[in-house]
Amino acid sequence: MMKKIKGHIQEAVLLLLFISCLLPWCMGILSNNAMRYMIRIFLYITIGEMWNLMSGYAGMTSLGQQAFIGLAGYSMAVATTVYKLHYAVGLAAGAAVSLCTAALLALLLMRMKGMYFAITTWVAAEALGTFFTGWRYVNQGAGMNITIVPYPRTGELYPAALILCAVALASTILLLRSSLGLGLTAMRDDASAAASLGVNVGRNKLIVYLIAALFTSLAGAVFFINKGTIYPDSGFSISWTISVVFIVIIGGIGTVEGPVVGSVVYVLLYEYLAHYPGWSNIILGVFSILVILFMPKGIVGFVSGKQHRSLIIR
Amino acid sequence: MSEIMLSVDSLTVKYGEMTAVDNVSMIIHKGEMVSVLGPNSSGKTTLMNTIAGLNSPCGGEISLEGRSLNGLSSDKIVELGVSLVPQGGRCFSRMSVFDNLMVGSYSKRSRRSAKSSLDRVYELFPVLYEKRSQPAGSLSGGQRQMVAIGRALMSCPRLLLFDELSLGLAPVVIKDIYSAIKHISREEDTAIVMVEQDTKRAMKMTDRTYIMLKGNVVLEGRPAELSDDAVKKAYFGS
Repeated sequence: MMKKIKGHIQEAVLLLLFISCLLPWCMGILSNNAMRYMIRIFLYITIGEMWNLMSGYAGMTSLGQQAFIGLAGYSMAVATTVYKLHYAVGLAAGAAVSLCTAALLALLLMRMKGMYFAITTWVAAEALGTFFTGWRYVNQGAGMNITIVPYPRTGELYPAALILCAVALASTILLLRSSLGLGLTAMRDDASAAASLGVNVGRNKLIVYLIAALFTSLAGAVFFINKGTIYPDSGFSISWTISVVFIVIIGGIGTVEGPVVGSVVYVLLYEYLAHYPGWSNIILGVFSILVILFMPKGIVGFVSGKQHRSLIIR
Repeated sequence: MSEIMLSVDSLTVKYGEMTAVDNVSMIIHKGEMVSVLGPNSSGKTTLMNTIAGLNSPCGGEISLEGRSLNGLSSDKIVELGVSLVPQGGRCFSRMSVFDNLMVGSYSKRSRRSAKSSLDRVYELFPVLYEKRSQPAGSLSGGQRQMVAIGRALMSCPRLLLFDELSLGLAPVVIKDIYSAIKHISREEDTAIVMVEQDTKRAMKMTDRTYIMLKGNVVLEGRPAELSDDAVKKAYFGS
C-alpha cells in the first residue's frame, strides 16, 4: 500500500520537474546561458542514471563509460561534418556504433567481476582514445570542428536533451519496476543470494550494459553538438567517469533520485567554482569527502532515511 | 523408502588447487529430511552451493529425479525445484520484506502461484506480515533467517537446502525456526537437507545423517542407529 503511494509520489515529482523544465522553454523566457546549464544537467542526469543502474544495481562498476561518449561524439561529428547529414542521423549513428562496440566488449566484460571489470572498461576507453589520437581520418589529436548546416541553436538542443533525460529516467523507473528490476534490486543487495533464488544474473547484466551504452552514447552525442568541437581528450577522458562517480555518490547510489540530485549539485557547484581556478578541484574533493563521511548513502539516502523513521507506522 | 529425489555421485569440487569436496556420494529420497554434519571446512557449504549451481564441480554427477544438473546455471536449477537458504540468510537488506519474498518467486514456475505462496509464508511466520514493508536489514537475526526461509519457500521447492540455519541465533529462536521446518517437511512433502553444526538437535529431527570431514563423507546412517562413539570418532577423525 505505502509502496504504491510512494511510487506515485516519485512519478508525480518527476513529472512536475519535467513540466517545470519544459514550460519556461515553451514561453521562451530562458536565456541561452541558463539553457546551457540546464542541458548539461540533463545530460549528466542521463549518464548518471545509467552509471547508477550499472554500478548501483547490477554490480558493474565501470570506469569506461566515456568510451561510448567519445564514440558517439565522433560518429556524430563524422556523419554531420564529413557526410553533411542531419544531426538526427548523427545521433542514430552514434548510438549504433556504441551499441555494436558494447556488444563486442560484452563478450569480454560479462566474464569479469569487480575490479577486473572496472579496469577493463577503463583500458578499453583509453585504447579508443589513443586510437583516435592517431587516426588521420578524424584529424588525429587536433580534433574536429563540428559543422552542421544549419547548426542547431541552444533553444533547439534544450528540448532534445530534456526529452533524452526524461526517456532515460522513465526507462530506468519502468525497468526497476519490472520483474527484471526486482532481480536487479536483489543483485544490488546480494548478487550471489539473488543467483541462488533463480535470478539470471548474467542476462540481467548484459541487458543493463547495453541499455547504459545506448543512453550514455546519446547523451554524449548531444553534449558534443552543444559544444561544437571534439578532441580525443575530451571524448575519451577519464574525467567523465570522475564527474559521474561524484554525481552518483553525492546524490545517493542505488536510488533513482540520486543522480538527479547529484547532477544539479555538481553542475551548480562546478559553475560556481569556476570563479576560483586552482581551488575548484580541492573544494569539490573536500565536499565529496564530507558527504561520504556524514551521508554515506548520499543526499537522497540521508533524506529518505530520516523520512523512513517518521513513516514507519502505516 | 520412496523414490530418489537427489543423487550425488562421486562429486569432487576444487577451489584452484584446494579440494573442498572429495568424491562425495549422497542420496536424498522424496520427502525425506537429511542432515549433513561436520566441523568447519569439511566441505558442507561447498556441497550445498554446488548442488544449487553456484559452484561448478570438477568431477562426478548431480542429478535431480534422474535428470543431470551438471552444467546447469543456478536459475535453471531453481526452475527445476531446488532452493537454497544460504549461510547467514543473506537477505536483501535494503529491500522490504515483501520484496525479498517476491524475489523468491522469481522463477517462471513459481511466479503464477506467488500469491498463495505468500499467504502460506505469512501464515508460517506471522511476524513477517507485520513487518512486510520494512527493509529486511532492520530486522533481528532470527527474523532475517525467517525472511530467508520464506524467500526459499516462495519458489515452491521440492528440495530445500538449509546451510547452517542456527548460526548465531538465540536458542529460543532456533526452536521456533526448527519447528517451522518440521511443519514444512510434513505439510509440503518437500525433501530437506540441513547442514548443521548443532549435531544433537539436527540428528534428533532428521531421518538420516551424513557426517563429513575434510571433504569426505565419513559416516552415514539413521541417527538412532549411530552410536555416540561412532559420531564422535567421525567428527574428530581419530
